[in-house]
Amino acid sequence: MWVDLLITLVKILFVFAVTVGFFAPVLTWVERKQSALMQDRIGANRADIMGFTALGLFHIIADALKMFTKEDFIPDGANRVLHTISPIIALVPALLTFAVVPFGGHYNLFGKDVHLVISDLDVGLLFVFAIASLATYGYVIAGWSSNNNWSLLGSMRTASQMISYEVTMGLTIIGVLMVYGSMKLTDIGAIQENFWMWGIFLQPVGFFMFLTASIAENKRIPFDAPEAESELVAGYFTEYSGLKFGMFFMAEFIEMVTIGAIMTILFLGAWHIPFLSSATLLSWFDFLGTTGSNLVLMLIHVGVFFAKVCFFIWLQMIIRWTLPRFRYDQIMKLGWKILLPLSLANILVTGLVILALN
Amino acid sequence: MAYYVNRNIKMTWWERSYIPEIIKGMWLTSRRFFYNLFGFIPFFLGTEKDRRIMTVYYPEEQVQYPIAYRGRPVLAQNEDGQPACVACGLCEIACPAYCIHIEPGQNSGKQNQYERWPDVFNIDYAICIFCGNCEEACPEEAIFMSDDCEISMLDRKQMLYTKEQLLTPVADLQKRIEFTRNMYAKWNY
Repeated sequence: MWVDLLITLVKILFVFAVTVGFFAPVLTWVERKQSALMQDRIGANRADIMGFTALGLFHIIADALKMFTKEDFIPDGANRVLHTISPIIALVPALLTFAVVPFGGHYNLFGKDVHLVISDLDVGLLFVFAIASLATYGYVIAGWSSNNNWSLLGSMRTASQMISYEVTMGLTIIGVLMVYGSMKLTDIGAIQENFWMWGIFLQPVGFFMFLTASIAENKRIPFDAPEAESELVAGYFTEYSGLKFGMFFMAEFIEMVTIGAIMTILFLGAWHIPFLSSATLLSWFDFLGTTGSNLVLMLIHVGVFFAKVCFFIWLQMIIRWTLPRFRYDQIMKLGWKILLPLSLANILVTGLVILALN
Repeated sequence: MAYYVNRNIKMTWWERSYIPEIIKGMWLTSRRFFYNLFGFIPFFLGTEKDRRIMTVYYPEEQVQYPIAYRGRPVLAQNEDGQPACVACGLCEIACPAYCIHIEPGQNSGKQNQYERWPDVFNIDYAICIFCGNCEEACPEEAIFMSDDCEISMLDRKQMLYTKEQLLTPVADLQKRIEFTRNMYAKWNY
């Protein structure tokens, strides 16, 4: 009992350390540095401690200090309570989705079967979408409570865009569910131990549609009409400063990690290495004993999983710094007229193929 | 005047599907990314001198300015420590911004001495426009544009440079002297 609780606590701490402690701050640096390299620039390198810049990594500390010490501004006529609470509503769902995301399989450590997932829900995939769509409220309330026209426009765009693309997202994963026959993310991950069962081979169209829809859900370029700097100042967080703005920012980066994790589990073989089953890896490290070999396997799997997540983050950044922003009507057209029929056709074709194979 | 944007551009089916064009663009940017990334790593390990990115870390790294570059004007100082200037005042007249102030000094008839020299020679860099007219007007090869452009100060008064601050040994200016001789010889002064 106590051991189970302790294990769960360790897993929660690990997830928090990885998302809030590692990815969210480091991605602010990666974003600047990667865009710089793509555009033949050098990027952030001015913050230094005793003349030592560490490739600009100290900008993370500088940014954090700046956000902590900035004035926490609430505009005149704004709804104080909602204005304060909305960044929290935006950030919490981004963190919550990680509760059902498995970052490894299950391992026999010290005679206990340890599953590397905080909460292995039967409806894991549904839980992810249910929680992720809650974040919309944060953005809409943020825009409304700011008493600013730009913010309101941004939040209206957020609402319409999120609703449009959630339809596509939901219909796309139906294809995945039909193929794997389970909503448990751990099950979907375990099936993909076979390389040819990876989602990207079974659902290639679904992969691209899910990627598009999830970038649109995260409101990043090319779907960043809700915050469009050149049109709406900064969209729904125009009136935010200091740590509240930082929370919106953090929510965006954590959502990037979440998208990467979900895509890895659904389409890119979760924590498995191609053509290397867990049993083979276990037999390689047999000389370490049961616990030792399982521990090594666990470390390899977690490493592989986060490497794949990093690949997806890299891909999202490349997309963000390559493409121009869609016009608002183009976003709606893409969502309703192209992606929605395509995802329906995808379900149909998947169903026909499954029927034919049976 | 109104601009009309033609929104009915005929695109091929390939372009309309959008995805190949996106992949083309991403291929370009990611190629740039990896090219520059792998240019950075040997640079920081010290095995390669260039990092393939042209951007200069300005205060730490400096570029060599071309010889035609017009930085702040300086006074040429002969080998014996005296300014080459004879305080004729031509640069003062040529200056479109009136930033030069000269007060001449002359000898009292002694032999083997400079005949004329500037007692006071001030250039106010807060006013100077770096046009190079003073250099062109000077008949004695005494005032030259240097390659120094870092003359920002915290106080405007410090921008007023006196004769002692302006004097630069002729040896340091040799390249610029040759350049001006070539340059102004074209117009047969």
